[in-house]
Amino acid sequence: MNQNRNQPPKWADRFLEWYCRSELLEEIQGDVYELFYVRIQDRGLNVARRRFVWDVLRSFRLSTIKGIRLNHSTMLLKSNIKIALRQILKQKVFSFIKIGGFALGVAVCLLIGLFIKEELSYDKHYDNVDRMYRLIAVFDEDGDFNTQVFLPAPFAQAVVEDYPEIEKAGRFWGGESFRAGNNQVRRQDKPVNSFEKGFIYIDPELVKILEIQILQGDSAKVLSEPNTILISKQKAEKYFPDEDPIGKTLILNDNLQQPLKIAGVMADLPVNSHFQYDFLMTLAGQEFWQGEQQSWLSNNYHTYVMLHPEADPKAVEQDLLSVIDRYYIPNAQAAGMSDAVGYSKQISFRLQPISDIHLYSEDISDTAKHGDIKVVWLFGAIAIVILILACINFINLSTARSANRAKEVGLRKVIGSFREDLINQFLTESVAYSIFSFILGIFIAWMLLPFFNAIADKELTFPWMEWWFLPSLLISSILIGVIAGIYPAFYLSSFRPISVLRGKLSRGSKSLGLRNSLVVFQFTATIVLLVCTFVIFRQMNFILNKKLGYDKEQVVILEGAYSIREKVPTLKQELLQLPEVKHVTVSGFLPVSGTFRNNNGFWKEGRTNIDKGIYGQIWDVDHDYIKTMGIQINKGRDFSIAMPTDSQAVIINESFATELGFEDPLGQRITNGGGLWQIIGVVEDFHFSNLKEDIGSLCMIIRDNPVTLSLKVNTGDMNGLIQQITNKWDAFSPNQAIRYSFLDESYANMYADVQRTGKIFSSFALLAILVACLGLFGLSTFMAEQRSKEMGIRKVLGASVFQIIQLLSRHFLLLVFISLLIAIPVAWYLMQAWLKDYAYRINIGWQAFVLAGILALFIACLTISFQSFRSATADPVRALRSE
Amino acid sequence: MMYLCPAGHRYIFQNLNMKGIHLGEFEELVLLIVAILNGEAYGVKVMGDLKDQSGRSVNISAVHAALRRLEKKGFVKSDWSEATTERGGRRKRLFSITAEGKKALEQVRDTRIKLWSQIPGFSSNLSFS
Repeated sequence: MNQNRNQPPKWADRFLEWYCRSELLEEIQGDVYELFYVRIQDRGLNVARRRFVWDVLRSFRLSTIKGIRLNHSTMLLKSNIKIALRQILKQKVFSFIKIGGFALGVAVCLLIGLFIKEELSYDKHYDNVDRMYRLIAVFDEDGDFNTQVFLPAPFAQAVVEDYPEIEKAGRFWGGESFRAGNNQVRRQDKPVNSFEKGFIYIDPELVKILEIQILQGDSAKVLSEPNTILISKQKAEKYFPDEDPIGKTLILNDNLQQPLKIAGVMADLPVNSHFQYDFLMTLAGQEFWQGEQQSWLSNNYHTYVMLHPEADPKAVEQDLLSVIDRYYIPNAQAAGMSDAVGYSKQISFRLQPISDIHLYSEDISDTAKHGDIKVVWLFGAIAIVILILACINFINLSTARSANRAKEVGLRKVIGSFREDLINQFLTESVAYSIFSFILGIFIAWMLLPFFNAIADKELTFPWMEWWFLPSLLISSILIGVIAGIYPAFYLSSFRPISVLRGKLSRGSKSLGLRNSLVVFQFTATIVLLVCTFVIFRQMNFILNKKLGYDKEQVVILEGAYSIREKVPTLKQELLQLPEVKHVTVSGFLPVSGTFRNNNGFWKEGRTNIDKGIYGQIWDVDHDYIKTMGIQINKGRDFSIAMPTDSQAVIINESFATELGFEDPLGQRITNGGGLWQIIGVVEDFHFSNLKEDIGSLCMIIRDNPVTLSLKVNTGDMNGLIQQITNKWDAFSPNQAIRYSFLDESYANMYADVQRTGKIFSSFALLAILVACLGLFGLSTFMAEQRSKEMGIRKVLGASVFQIIQLLSRHFLLLVFISLLIAIPVAWYLMQAWLKDYAYRINIGWQAFVLAGILALFIACLTISFQSFRSATADPVRALRSE
Repeated sequence: MMYLCPAGHRYIFQNLNMKGIHLGEFEELVLLIVAILNGEAYGVKVMGDLKDQSGRSVNISAVHAALRRLEKKGFVKSDWSEATTERGGRRKRLFSITAEGKKALEQVRDTRIKLWSQIPGFSSNLSFS
């Protein structure tokens, strides 16, 4: 410290000494020191030190810095670079293969790198990110763990009051119910509705926890009044261009009884946040049904907490268990639940860090769209494999040309090159190749980015402007160039000049074993990717063509009927007038995702407090539902308008019937604690959820649910029919555009992720094939060149073209065959793991392997034959003339 | 005139005619101050006087650059002083004006006077103190 008292900053002084020319140093250093001492007197030490640094920096000028002196090593570098460029230009085809193959690898790595970076960046932007957690409830149902984010309504309030470790807690209500999810929206003063997604109910407290930025409106009090709404900037601009939206009113689904007043505008949420909603309705003063806000038995709320800075999340998780005794058990008992203690004791709680939500929510049921850490790993692995393939090609092609470079090496050594110089020379060459490959690779990646975004469902861009981006690319290109160049450099520089110049070099056959194993590695990776692609596509095909228990073909779905609710029956009758329309049903429950779902406990009549409940769906349908969906009735009958008692009737599916265990379910009665229904029919099980899950229990009752109209049609001219339907719709609902979809398309969309995985695998397989082919092409070219004399002699002695092709190809085909043997178990294992997620899946079977094997062999043959045919048909005189 | 430059084997053009001498505005100021200081001029001193006389505060590096350019043009020459304690034992590089430098200053002044005298309505009796 003492030394520093009256001294300028050491680093600045050293910097000056480092850059300044020696003949100017004394003058400049003297002057800045003198100024420094004067300034200490006048303005104090700190100013003097700051100004000293400034002076030193300002003195850094072209005229003061040391020139880059040319010494021996820089001259060598210059000449090495020159040699490298000449080599690249000399062998154009070879260089193209080398650079092109490598560039492909770089491009893939770059794209995947961008993808992984984006995936890992989710929910890292909060100021208090280390203290923010999502609460998760784990239900231990006899060792069967059911993990979900949904918690009782009073939970958040209770934990904030009871636990000092929890600083804040807030909830939101998501999903597709009570106006959360999708709605038809309009301004109060305009008649035209438009369809919007992304509605939730939220606590004002959660807005603060999630650090949502309020652009307009009172950020302290936003959403504190009942029936207020917070909308995103984007939506504010859509509905209120050039207007102040604060205090304006929005109407949802033409329901004038429940207007929403805009309390604020929030900044658009970052793309890399798991929390993606545009319309946040307040939970203040909201009660969805009688006593809902006090109920500990229905779990509906996403709950987030902010811990105290010193709190230990593990300890908090343990402490939270006391909530069970304090609230769950008394409330369950008060509600008359038979097994109140048993039910409550199966629950435990976990705190999920907010930054884990995006990638680590695989086994947690919630309402958001997620990434998957497995995909990140998979992509990362693919990127590395493809990069290794490309590096291998690079090494392979470099050593393959050893014979051509041998004379050069020998001559250089004779003239007096040291081995280190030669190593440097070859490393420079490889770095030059690598840099060219990177430039081309970046270009390819840039061209492919839109395509990649489409299949990965992302909006990635190149961070050109980030300070680290280009430098890190440059550094990686040099590093990879050196790594890929080390082996060839040492190998080539080890040649003995005498044997080389006497022409006794063992023509690169020494490294044959290595080269062979490289080819095997490449083809193994290629075949594995090919098999994966085939299997994924077959599973997709299986999903799309599976018998589902209902008929998804020719069903038109009209959405958003909520806003014309009382006119829905009339619309239904109108639509039935069209000759092509066979049946029409009105229900929000459809056997595709994105439609209504629920979960209820059911009991046989009178056993509510005795038996354990059977959990299942209860769907509100009308009399035409089963006919429209083409669901088969196995026992009993369909609902009938002629039977007024059907309002108390229920139709169950086979799974439910099995669970109930009645000998004859017809006529039996079941209850969910509220309603009591008589079973009149049993339908065949149909797939109403993802094929990853088994078919659960389900029952249907007659109840008004005017959300969606489904039309079973029979037409060859779908467009014409849609036009007619649109006309009818417009007559009923002129202010709301028709929104229709097809059941089979909605079904296919459920498996968009499978399709995406398939596309990604096929693209990567294609790239791997390309890279492997380039490598094989290079090698076969080399082999053909090496053996051109031998082939010449063979031809002169009477070998046929076919024999020569065979001779040249046999070796490589054997390698491909070995790869196939290695690839089969690897691919089988990988695909077995992937398919395990599906309750309904294909058997892998042998076809995929045969197909991949044949394809790999075919491609290999094609690649090799190009060269072998050329050398087989070549004029033997040319080959034998020299020497 | 054309000279053969032996080091680089390239022709260079050097104009010895004084008309072509470019004395930048800042260079002129620095050169004047060097002349005033009469052999006592060095970086910090020039910078201080520049501030006092013309009110311009510049960075020391600018002064150095100007002095180096002037020296290259042959308008100033430099010698080392004795070591001094106030600069951590480093010597000062003391600049003094050369005959060439004086000539350049005179020429600049004469050109100015000639031009001033042609402005209508201005007194030609200008003083350059």
